[in-house]
Amino acid sequence: MVPYEYYVALSGLLMVLGLIGVIVRKNVIAMLISTELMLNAVNIAFVAFDVKLHDVVGQVFVFFILTIAAAEAAVGLGLIMAIYRMKKDVDVEKLTELKG
Amino acid sequence: MELSVVAFWILSTIAVVSAIGVVFFKNIVYSVLSLISALIAISGLFFNLGAELVGALQILIYAVAIVVFYVLVISTVPQYKGEAVDPKYALLSAPFGFILFLELAYVSVYGLWASNTGIFSPDIFQQISNAKAVATLLFTKYLFPFEVASLILLVAMIGAILLGKKDIVEDEEGGA
Repeated sequence: MVPYEYYVALSGLLMVLGLIGVIVRKNVIAMLISTELMLNAVNIAFVAFDVKLHDVVGQVFVFFILTIAAAEAAVGLGLIMAIYRMKKDVDVEKLTELKG
Repeated sequence: MELSVVAFWILSTIAVVSAIGVVFFKNIVYSVLSLISALIAISGLFFNLGAELVGALQILIYAVAIVVFYVLVISTVPQYKGEAVDPKYALLSAPFGFILFLELAYVSVYGLWASNTGIFSPDIFQQISNAKAVATLLFTKYLFPFEVASLILLVAMIGAILLGKKDIVEDEEGGA
């Protein structure tokens, strides 16, 4: 068996990659995709700790995270469609109405 | 070498390389294809850990349903012309990512872990399946959060319809 620490390290690596994606990308859709990557990193950590602690509660919570991810994707992409219809752009540098 | 060890290294390599592709591909369609590859590799990791139900749900919900949302929206929004990565934020993200990774590694290695308190040891899983164990907990102790999750999905569906529909309200004061 692979030690569970390896799974936790992989989860941390995917989390960091998702964070870098959210910071550096300029396209709003790509930022949302990087968020999905971070949610998956959390899922890996939940299941790895389940195996370590001999429990299944983490897998129940992975189920809830999947539900929330579906809701988040639907609402987020609906917002992006509304923004695109209004501004004709998905570049975060151009969407600066709230900038003081 | 044991087969699960080989599977872990192959699948995790695919997942990390695909994640790098998600972050750095210029074309957004390539990003989504890399995301599918990463999601399927992560699902394989779940199977490798013995969590079959979660692995199957990962493929069904993530790699099919959510990715289809993204493909639909990408097909509506015209191709993005600007540069993919902002250089000034790329320089900024390296120290932040490194600090976050150091923190996660510190917590993972030196964290104060609880001991094996659960009852689901590997020989229990020999008798009942993983799906049965998860579903039993989900429909007894976590029944109320499960119902709330269905409500959240309903609200998200109504919200997505309202946000995504075209504005058909006529301008009543115009024309005059």
